[in-house]
Amino acid sequence: MRKLAVVLLLCLVGVGPVVLYAQAPQQQDEFVPIDELPPQDQLPAAPLLVAAYSFVALALFAYVVSVARRMATVQRELERLESDLKRSGRT
Amino acid sequence: MPKWFTPAAIVCGLMFAVAPLLIAQAPYESTMGLVQKIFYVHLPSAWVFLLSAIICGVASVRYLFGGNPRHDRLAWAAAELVVLFGAITLVTGPLWARKAWGVWWQWDVRLTSSLMGWMVAVAYMLLRKYGGPGSDKLAAGLALFGMANVPFIYISVNYWRTIHPTTNVVPTLPTSFGLPLWFSAVTFMVMYVLLLRLRVRLEEQRSRLDALYLSADN
Repeated sequence: MRKLAVVLLLCLVGVGPVVLYAQAPQQQDEFVPIDELPPQDQLPAAPLLVAAYSFVALALFAYVVSVARRMATVQRELERLESDLKRSGRT
Repeated sequence: MPKWFTPAAIVCGLMFAVAPLLIAQAPYESTMGLVQKIFYVHLPSAWVFLLSAIICGVASVRYLFGGNPRHDRLAWAAAELVVLFGAITLVTGPLWARKAWGVWWQWDVRLTSSLMGWMVAVAYMLLRKYGGPGSDKLAAGLALFGMANVPFIYISVNYWRTIHPTTNVVPTLPTSFGLPLWFSAVTFMVMYVLLLRLRVRLEEQRSRLDALYLSADN
C-alpha cells in the first residue's frame, strides 16, 4: 500500500509540471502587428462606431416622436374639453 | 411656441447634417484609430447630461423655496432630458471602451458616479409618474442629489485612479480634433435647448388641461 502511494506521488510530481506546461499559453517574445492576429482575436471598430452613432440618432428621433405624440394627445384633449365647456356654457 | 423655435430647429437640423462630414474629416487618433470617433458624440452628450442635471437641480431649489410651478415644470423637463442624454452617454461610452480598454464597463469612479446620476434622474421620473400627491417636493429634493453629484462626476477623474481620460484632454486638443468636437457640442446644445423648450411646452399644456378639468368639476 505504501509502495502504491509512493508510485502515485511520483507520477503526480512528474506528470503535473508536464500537464501545466502543456496548458500554459505560449509565451510571446515579440510584438505582433494587429493585422497578423487570427480573425477571432481582432475586434473591428466599425460595428462599434456604427452602433454608437445609430443609437444616438435613434434615441433622439424616438424622443422627438414621443414628445410630439404626447403633445398631440394633450392638445386633442384640451380642444375636446374646451368645446365641451363651451357647449355647456361654463366658459 | 416662441418665434425663435422654428429657425433654431432648422439650424439644428443643418448642423446635424454637417457634423458627420467634419467628424469624418477629423484625423484618426494614434492609438485608438477609428473607434475614437465615438468621442464626438460621447463627450457632447455627457456635457448636456451634466448641464441638464444642474438645470433640474437649480429649478428644483427655486421650486422648493419659491413654490412657482414654472420652475417645477422646468425641473421635470430637464430631468427627462438627463435620462435621455445620460442614456446616450452610458451607451456610447461602453461601445468605445470595448475597443479602447478591452472591456465594456469598469466600476471606476467616473463611470459609477455617472450611472448613479442617471439613476437619480430615473428615480425622479418614476417618483413624478407614480408618486401621487406631494411627489413634486420629494422629487425636487431628489434632484438636489443629482445636481450635487455633477461636480463629483466631473472632477473624479483627476483625483481617483481610473482608466477614463482626465479633464485635461479637451483643452489640449489640436484644431483638427477640436473643431469637430466643438461643432458637435454646439449642435447638441442647440438640440438640448429645443428639446427642453418642447418638453416644457408639454408640461404647460398639461397644467392648462388640469386647470380646465378643475373648472369643469366646480
